[in-house]
Amino acid sequence: MKDKPIPPRTPLASMYGIDPALLKKRGADLPGICSLRVTDVFPDQPEVIYPGEKGIAAIREETERMMARVDLSKIRPGDSVNVLCSHHGFTLLGGEPYAEMLRTIRDVVAKRTGCSRISLRVGQGLRYREGEDYIRRFKLDASFTTAVAIAPIDKGIPIETEIGTLYGIKKAYDADWIIHTHNSDVREIHFHRMVDRAVKPFAMSYARLETRSGYHQNLGPRAANFMARAIFDSDFVQRKYVFSAFLMVAPSGIVTVDCDNDMYLLNDRVVIAGMKYYGKIVTLLGSIDACIAVLDSPAPVPYVFAGGLIYGNFLGARHDLFDLEKPLPSYTFYTEAYYGHGERHLTKHVPGINPAVKMTLHNYAFIGYPSEFFAAKVPTIMVGREQADLFRHDPQSTGYMRHAVIADDLEAALEYAKRISGTDKVLIFDGAIGGINMSESLADHFLEMAPDVSRRVDEVLLPLWLRQRGMDPAVLAAWSTRRYPLAAA
Amino acid sequence: MRLVNTTPVLDEKKCIGCVICSSVCPTLAWSVNRETKLAVLDEPLCFGCVNCEARCPTYAIKMVPRKNEKLLYVDPLQVDYAQVEDLCRRARFHPEQIICFCTSSRAEEAAAAILTGSLTPEDISARTGIRSGCTIECSQPLLRLLETAGIPFRPALDGKGWQIYGKVPTLWEIPHSVKQKYANRGFHFEEDQALMEEVIASPAQPPGSRTLNVTAPKAEEAMALAGRTAG
Repeated sequence: MKDKPIPPRTPLASMYGIDPALLKKRGADLPGICSLRVTDVFPDQPEVIYPGEKGIAAIREETERMMARVDLSKIRPGDSVNVLCSHHGFTLLGGEPYAEMLRTIRDVVAKRTGCSRISLRVGQGLRYREGEDYIRRFKLDASFTTAVAIAPIDKGIPIETEIGTLYGIKKAYDADWIIHTHNSDVREIHFHRMVDRAVKPFAMSYARLETRSGYHQNLGPRAANFMARAIFDSDFVQRKYVFSAFLMVAPSGIVTVDCDNDMYLLNDRVVIAGMKYYGKIVTLLGSIDACIAVLDSPAPVPYVFAGGLIYGNFLGARHDLFDLEKPLPSYTFYTEAYYGHGERHLTKHVPGINPAVKMTLHNYAFIGYPSEFFAAKVPTIMVGREQADLFRHDPQSTGYMRHAVIADDLEAALEYAKRISGTDKVLIFDGAIGGINMSESLADHFLEMAPDVSRRVDEVLLPLWLRQRGMDPAVLAAWSTRRYPLAAA
Repeated sequence: MRLVNTTPVLDEKKCIGCVICSSVCPTLAWSVNRETKLAVLDEPLCFGCVNCEARCPTYAIKMVPRKNEKLLYVDPLQVDYAQVEDLCRRARFHPEQIICFCTSSRAEEAAAAILTGSLTPEDISARTGIRSGCTIECSQPLLRLLETAGIPFRPALDGKGWQIYGKVPTLWEIPHSVKQKYANRGFHFEEDQALMEEVIASPAQPPGSRTLNVTAPKAEEAMALAGRTAG
């Protein structure tokens, strides 16, 4: 089952990263690195439509097929429509599947309604030029009336909700109708905890800074995502909302494009799919006793991917991230907040970082995210002085290099890390598609542990996670095959 | 604490005087000259965030390394720490709680800024560096601390800017009926409130005694006193 390394995600020329020419070696090129396909580790992974024989055409075909389920009768020919999307989708499988889903939504809406004023609004995280990069790279301005990246510091609009006034970004809502488009991979489990996961962009990508700050500071680690539900349920949003479309993702690829007028029905499918498709991988990561992590992808530190999961997940993987009885994951802003002077925990519920992560080699990652926490908690070796300098001047991470040390090259950094940490297990977060690049020793561990992890997730954990979110585990009957429940016959 | 090591540079040929830079600046460092229609930077107020660079529609602003780095810090020990602690806890923060994840600044520092004269979030930011990174996640703690100190909030630039519009609800302000209505979806309102109250009530350990000159700090001196090594 062990195979040669999978090509890592291609480096990107971006103001948030070093010049790709400076990236001399990738983690996958290190000696002794192999790969495991996710489907070899967990054979019950779902069937995917992409990557596949049809190529990107499969995304258009699936979007058209699933959009046949939605009612677009609200939209009149002279109306205006905003398709709302988020930067996250463009980080999946190179971004083209998400871009093609967006283009197809535009074309189907225009064809079925006669409406031609269809614009795109690209929500962003904390890098306020990122959306423009995606619009340019995927030529989205050619498909939409206007294509604009929106940021939480842009002009806002108050939204009255059942918990009081919250704030959205004005440009997100400057049309008669909105269509909500997103992706289903679990990603920031530490933030949303898979509670209303599908609704989150209403409190993030489309929200002003007041709402986003309230999410991370005012509500608590498990209640935070209620900000999203409050905004989505508001009269203001409901008057504009038409339907949602989600790129449904598994670690091995795109499963389908799920569309629904009923956001909460779709939300339930997104939550189930997230826990079913990713629960085993994240539990497997939590079984690692010791390892060296290599960050090696064009994404901010906690968002670099391995096996469809982000480094931020790995840091919390020793404690069940989906278990809502555990109030604080190892990393989330609430947890970070509760480290007092001298690393003192302000509550016994701070679980500490996954002790298996002995060292982290920062070979390639982006600035533009508050990252000091990661270097402060995990011994970190930064590869290359140029990248160190980039982080030193990033206002969101000015403290990162106070904790990290610098190595001139990746190979030397790995040798040093192995010697200091005493482990030869290496896990590479490089965005490889369909599998994970790692050392042979770690691959052996995964293959040994996977059957037990699979059984435990199916029989114990998945039913528990569903019950904690008000869902009857009986719903899993519809998910018993490798086909998505709404897949074509 | 924030070491400011970058500064914006304006390309006047590209500037169109659109006032977006002044609308998004957390410390009100940018304005637009009515006659020249060009953006003007009040450099001492700039704390090195990238909002102006990131939102300028003509790419007229570029952040560059500063020749002289400056350190922003308000020492909580310059006022009676009991007052700092009291203000933080009444605003429902633990004094040591980190409220700005980009600068690792704690509630005690923002409270000390308020207790030594800051009346607006913009002024707290200019003195402490809080909001100098992502500029968004730490906005609510500043409003909660100011409100608790009895200082009414008024949006900057008479509401013409987009700095901060206002406070949003906290867990303590969500109606019980709402909490009950959605509790079975996994939100854990009551449990999270108990967790946060446990944190707020836990004993504080004031920062070690320091003798920073907060009006004209030297970066190396402050870093050394804080027990850190400049990276």
